[in-house]
Amino acid sequence: MSAKLRYVVGIDLGTTNCGLAFAQAEGLDPRELPPVLQFEIPQLVNPGEVRDETLLPSSLYLQGPADFPEGSLALPWDANPPFVVGHLAKTRGAEAPRRLVASAKSWLCHSGVDRTSAILPTAPPEGTPRLSPVEASRHYLEHLRNAWTSSQPDAPFDEQQLLVTVPASFDAVARELTARAAAEAGLKNVVLLEEPQAAFYAWIERHPDWRERVHVGDLILVVDIGGGTTDFSLIAVTERDGELQLERVAVGEHILLGGDNMDLALARFIEQELAEKGKKLDQFQLHALWQNCRVAKEKLLEEGVKGDEHPVTILGKGTGVVGGTIKAKLRRADMERILLDGFFPQVSSEEMPMRQRRVALQEVGLPYAADAAVTRHMARFLRQQAAASEHGVLRRGTSGLVAPTHVLFNGGVLRAGLVRERLLATLNSWLAAEGFESIAALEGEDLMHAVSRGAAYYGLARQGRGVRIRGGIPRTYYVGIETAMPAVPGMPAPLKALTVAQFGMEEGTQSAIAQQEFGLLVGEPAEFRFFSSALRKDDPPGSLLEEVSGELEELAPMEVTLPADGDAGHLITVTLETVITETGQLQLWCVARDGRRWKLEFNVRERVAS
Amino acid sequence: MGRLSLAIRSFFALLFKGALPGDVVTKLNLDRKAAPPAAAPPKPAVEPGHGALQMLAILQRDSRLVDFLMEDISSYSDDQIGAAVRGLHEQCREALHRYVRLAPVIDGVEGSFVRLSGPSAVFDPARVKLLGNVPAQGLPEGGLLRHKGWRADKVDLPPLDAKRDLTILAPAEVEVE
Repeated sequence: MSAKLRYVVGIDLGTTNCGLAFAQAEGLDPRELPPVLQFEIPQLVNPGEVRDETLLPSSLYLQGPADFPEGSLALPWDANPPFVVGHLAKTRGAEAPRRLVASAKSWLCHSGVDRTSAILPTAPPEGTPRLSPVEASRHYLEHLRNAWTSSQPDAPFDEQQLLVTVPASFDAVARELTARAAAEAGLKNVVLLEEPQAAFYAWIERHPDWRERVHVGDLILVVDIGGGTTDFSLIAVTERDGELQLERVAVGEHILLGGDNMDLALARFIEQELAEKGKKLDQFQLHALWQNCRVAKEKLLEEGVKGDEHPVTILGKGTGVVGGTIKAKLRRADMERILLDGFFPQVSSEEMPMRQRRVALQEVGLPYAADAAVTRHMARFLRQQAAASEHGVLRRGTSGLVAPTHVLFNGGVLRAGLVRERLLATLNSWLAAEGFESIAALEGEDLMHAVSRGAAYYGLARQGRGVRIRGGIPRTYYVGIETAMPAVPGMPAPLKALTVAQFGMEEGTQSAIAQQEFGLLVGEPAEFRFFSSALRKDDPPGSLLEEVSGELEELAPMEVTLPADGDAGHLITVTLETVITETGQLQLWCVARDGRRWKLEFNVRERVAS
Repeated sequence: MGRLSLAIRSFFALLFKGALPGDVVTKLNLDRKAAPPAAAPPKPAVEPGHGALQMLAILQRDSRLVDFLMEDISSYSDDQIGAAVRGLHEQCREALHRYVRLAPVIDGVEGSFVRLSGPSAVFDPARVKLLGNVPAQGLPEGGLLRHKGWRADKVDLPPLDAKRDLTILAPAEVEVE
């Protein structure tokens, strides 16, 4: 038997920070639950200085020859790395922002750009190489892999069971691209897991008596607000054969809104105050102010701190520290007003987020949420689940609003008691209006590291050492079918949607869509328009929607070219088959009558905005 | 060549010319070709000033301490200085904590009595400085602890880069338009 230790390793591939947690998975009693430990990630923190930190900032800096002294970027596993990843990339990137790649993960989910072409940084100095969002993610994973393997040469990263987390709101394309980044980083044995689920697993791991804390019929709302994204999920407690079961019953949309936006809002406020006093800040000072506002906010939000304000100073530029110092302060009242009224207003559950009309010619940038109010997004999420029929397990109010019985918070923003209280108070006011009693938050998690720890626990659960949340795929998927109608000039042919995978379809299963046949021309690329919906949950595979409505969101199309071996120009009649792999990825196959199969691939090249 | 003549020739050649004659080199099997390839240049000896320069550079980088100490602050109000120093102090302290672990020499309450003599106590004037009524001979039993002293428990500085010019405490900064 191999003496190599096998671990399960949870990887939180975050928008602003990455984390790594692990647990021993072999050589134990099968029922024993080993502890989950945090891995400290060596990274450059200054030129010539490598230090272990629990988080790896998801920042990548494309250095030029003039950036750092020669040899000062050496890592234990690479004397001359092509990029800087982590803490130093983040701090250096503040000084030379046009060479910094950040928020690569948000770009991974942006269907308006070609996510596999080199587009980051968006505006680099001339001659700087660029990376694709997939490549950037790959480099973070590569860093984690090398960091692990260099500290544990006896247990190489590739030989461990790896669990990479993605936002629940990631669609099939973004998941596929994440898996691709992992494969390109040389990772094997990769399973994808949704972040809110990971956060809930971390809670279970912390509470071995969780079965006493939740009951059949309970519905847990997971609110995950990280540096860059906000993510909602609902997990239901059900029963099967007398055993408590957990089922992820709903996920929200992708919302690009997080802690970074909040700190920037505070900084902009103070910048304005200073401007009124005639003090103008340049780009560097504004960045320093942004960082200082984050510090001041955290200080003011610390439990038990009573002060009414916290100084925010921007030290003078040049060698004069005292002379050029700009003094300002963040007042508690202002902070609370900006955070609570701006991002967490106490609204009714009827209020929906504002939707901006997309301008056709948009500057290339991330599609940030048009409405900054997290509470309105939460209302929309719970309302949408109300609109979606099905699933008797969801507790509902008189207006149909889904009424959770517990809430679990995750993400850096929710470390602030003030924010947690406001979210809970808002939720409870909705519940009261629906005739329910107030609910409480599930307590006791380390909100910065829960996702990687929960992912490692999930790795153990997959081996039968813990409970698994059933969920399957978080959306229903469709392919578009053009209806056979006489063409009308200037009008696209009306489109129907064929359901190919239903919400909740489980990993390791497949379903044949025999109802619809397609004739594919051999040797020619065939393209299928591809749609998804997080709301429609009751369309069985094979069912046809007469109309592609607003509930359906178009994703990157899928493509296949049947190899022209001999019968070029022929039509082959195929049906579709959907496979959800063991690792949670959706695949579509064309199956000919004689049993030959061809896999459809996502085409993520730029799609003209329709 | 006999051992004696070899020794004598080597001795005088080295004494007056600073190098061995070729035939002696061959005889002694010291041929340059046979010699191992020029070994990596010896590690530059760490000079006493290196650690100090490194520490100053770190404190400047992380907290701008050198800027502050070199600035003429006489014309600024206490208010202005206070505003700058508050942040600077915190960063300076963080940097110090990160690289040097500090502990008191005598872990007691300042102002209270501490015993100095005892069976195991070896008195070291570098560790404990006696104030006031210092006895002519021997050790006093103890005294009032006036200052706990500081001791660097552990120094954890990043390795020095041999190629780097340590006299540069902070690079000049030039913003490219």
